[in-house]
Amino acid sequence: MIGSKGLCPQNLIFCLKMSFLFQSILNGVLAGCIYALFAMGLTLIYGVLGFVNFAHGELIMWGAYFLYLLMEKPIGLPLPSALAFALLLTALMGTGVDRFVFRPLRHANSLTLLIAALGLSFLLRNGAQFFWGAEIRTYGFEIKRGFRFLDISITLNQMMIIFATIISISFVYLLFHRSRLGKSMRALSDNLELARVVGIDSKRTIRFAWIIASILAGAGGILLALDTNLQPGMGLINLVKAFAATLLGGVGNLWGALWGGILIGLAENLGVLVISPGYKDAIAFGIMVLMLLIRPSVLFHKQE
Amino acid sequence: MLEIKGISKSFGGIRAVSDCTLELKDYTITGLIGPNGSGKTTVFNLITGSIPPDKGEIYFEGVRIDGQLPHEVASRGIIRTFQLTRIFPKMTVLENMLLAPQHQTGEALWPLWVKRKRIQKEEKENLRRALQFIEMVGLLHLKDQFAENLSYGQQKLLELVRAMMVEPKMILLDEPTAGINPSLIRKMMAMILKIRESGKGFFIIEHNMDVIIELCDWVFVLDNGEKIAEGKPKEIQNDPRVIEAYLGV
Amino acid sequence: MDLFLHLCIMIAIYIIFALSLNLEVGYTGLFNFGHVAFFGIGAYTSALLTLHRVPFELSLLLALAMAGLWGFLLSLPSLRLRGDYFGIATLGFGEIIRMVFQNEVWLTKGPMGLPGIPKPILFSYRFATLPQYLSLVLAFTLLTFLVLRVILRSPFGRVLKAIREDEIAAAALGKNVLRFRIKSFIIGSLFAGLAGTLWAHYTTFVSPGDFTLLETILVLLIVVLGGKGTEWGPVWGAIVLIFFQESLRFLRLPADWTRYLAPLQQMILGGLLILLMIFRPEGLIREKGKISNAGDKGDQ
Repeated sequence: MIGSKGLCPQNLIFCLKMSFLFQSILNGVLAGCIYALFAMGLTLIYGVLGFVNFAHGELIMWGAYFLYLLMEKPIGLPLPSALAFALLLTALMGTGVDRFVFRPLRHANSLTLLIAALGLSFLLRNGAQFFWGAEIRTYGFEIKRGFRFLDISITLNQMMIIFATIISISFVYLLFHRSRLGKSMRALSDNLELARVVGIDSKRTIRFAWIIASILAGAGGILLALDTNLQPGMGLINLVKAFAATLLGGVGNLWGALWGGILIGLAENLGVLVISPGYKDAIAFGIMVLMLLIRPSVLFHKQE
Repeated sequence: MLEIKGISKSFGGIRAVSDCTLELKDYTITGLIGPNGSGKTTVFNLITGSIPPDKGEIYFEGVRIDGQLPHEVASRGIIRTFQLTRIFPKMTVLENMLLAPQHQTGEALWPLWVKRKRIQKEEKENLRRALQFIEMVGLLHLKDQFAENLSYGQQKLLELVRAMMVEPKMILLDEPTAGINPSLIRKMMAMILKIRESGKGFFIIEHNMDVIIELCDWVFVLDNGEKIAEGKPKEIQNDPRVIEAYLGV
Repeated sequence: MDLFLHLCIMIAIYIIFALSLNLEVGYTGLFNFGHVAFFGIGAYTSALLTLHRVPFELSLLLALAMAGLWGFLLSLPSLRLRGDYFGIATLGFGEIIRMVFQNEVWLTKGPMGLPGIPKPILFSYRFATLPQYLSLVLAFTLLTFLVLRVILRSPFGRVLKAIREDEIAAAALGKNVLRFRIKSFIIGSLFAGLAGTLWAHYTTFVSPGDFTLLETILVLLIVVLGGKGTEWGPVWGAIVLIFFQESLRFLRLPADWTRYLAPLQQMILGGLLILLMIFRPEGLIREKGKISNAGDKGDQ
């Protein structure tokens, strides 16, 4: 990934360092796009239902595994249809999870919800391990060489990431600001009771929110797995990144989730230039904890 | 005893309390009335330290207390009750009472091992007083029930006697008679008068004018966050400004 | 017989661990999802010290001190947060500490772990065999139970419960809520460190992989299942769940089966947690406080 000598005659070291820096920035933005997809799903559920879905990471992970399942023998679908079905399955899982775990707890306090979500994430994570074991797997695509310009390289996979992110963002934007469904979701996130009174079908809206959040999660998970690999434990750390991005961008704020995700991606990839790579994941954790501490809306409320 | 000087507080763009100056003397029962939203509970919150004032000062027994934390204000002897009762649901009536006295030796960790005798003595004394109070308000038979199982009226009585256990110097009551039936109201008023005899001051927010007239030595009236009148209850009753505020004419 | 002794030792250790979490979760209302970090700090501290020939009496005390100290340090920033965010923040801290265990190879030997932790020698008596170790652990378990019982039944414990029920009302009565919470957190961390120490010297090998979210979920489940906020709840919960958790060993199944049964076991744990939250959040044992005879609603 370090640029070649192409553009740098003298001052080679500096030039190498610069291109290394740019490469890190690019990688950061790419990773950030994926995190943004995660965060958008998470923040959507938080906005509409008012709680942090701690099992969101497992939706991400299962999305990736669904694709694996569909592409491997004996099913062996080609990529495009496998992709569509994988996202469909993820959406089904998301709505199922809501129906059986979160709907009964609709009126429980946030701590009970958190514990239930913890249990759910545990269940789903070990479910994946049950079926596929703990080994690391990949989709088996070769890394196709992409382009190289200005001493920075970018693979085809990575271009797909940007492409997919742009599509997702546009889709979500149109959905939210131009459709009735989007209006319903915004109304629900503002005031659940009032929305019901006004006649917005909350059940249907909630279901759609889960479908969209799951698809975003699944897509993100697939992209991530395409770029890296698959393992049952990939849920938790990505949940943390999603959550950190959500906090950065403002809970319930879709655009904020985008910027938050990119910021986290950048922080990670630039951070490992200065600290030990073993702590790369700790960066997201650290940001999450930091954001929790400095965001006033999350502190104890003084009695009103 | 309690001096509130030029207190103001805004929330966002809304002025909840505006340049209020109130003075409460020792051994008095003082009333605070006004239409809904006039800032009465906010004044209480400012006194007890739940929120800091934007401007002004509050003095209690000559010491400045605005800006202090709630537990610090409470330590000085100002105890409050809440509009929606805040008893401890999953603790028994007795436990609710025993919790109240301040600076109990047993509340620190080290004494649990080295000062056992003293703690036992305190517990015994606290128990005696607690049972006395509980009996006074007719809750003795419920002393081992979880507080959440009490009726609303019983909870309000509990909150009142729990405040008494603290041996406070001043008690702030936020709508103590709201939502309870007349016989219970009588009971509560009798308690308050009895307690006043032992030298405590009361500051009461109320909507029930009968209660105000019977209990209070002095009344402040708020409207839209401002003090618009003060005086003896009978004077206030006939004050045209007060009537206007309530009727919104 | 050995298996039985092993089971008892594990149960006893987890009883200590669960009692410590119950103090925080059940009595003070602090949902500490990073509790396993203090288990780990106790384990690593004692392991490292004894591996460097420090006598066990001293290493134990220092392990407790370290666990308590880090409990204090972590509590300061976290306690400003509301319930569920406090849970997430403590979870974050727990994971960060685990990453420290993993990355600071110079100290902890990283993923390789620390093997060969010596058996404890307390007052010139070596607790090497299973029965000996069991008696050591049982003594500590009993000590923990009694100490915590004194604390929980005291006025201090009463204030903790009040804070759990309604911190605003507690503050309005003059209780310094933050101080009590910090103290509760320190005590909880200290006893978690004790459990960790006993565990490390039992298994004689610690590595970062022993202190993951799984352990947190397990001990949380023990506390919640057994009935949080009760004295005996953690005991019963530990007995039931550790029995379940360790049961795979009894059956001595071929390795193939374990590959499937281990995640299945964890799935059951996760599912159990969910079902508990939906149907019986207060756990198996309820807190005492007469619910019958509530018919007399008096004057209302």
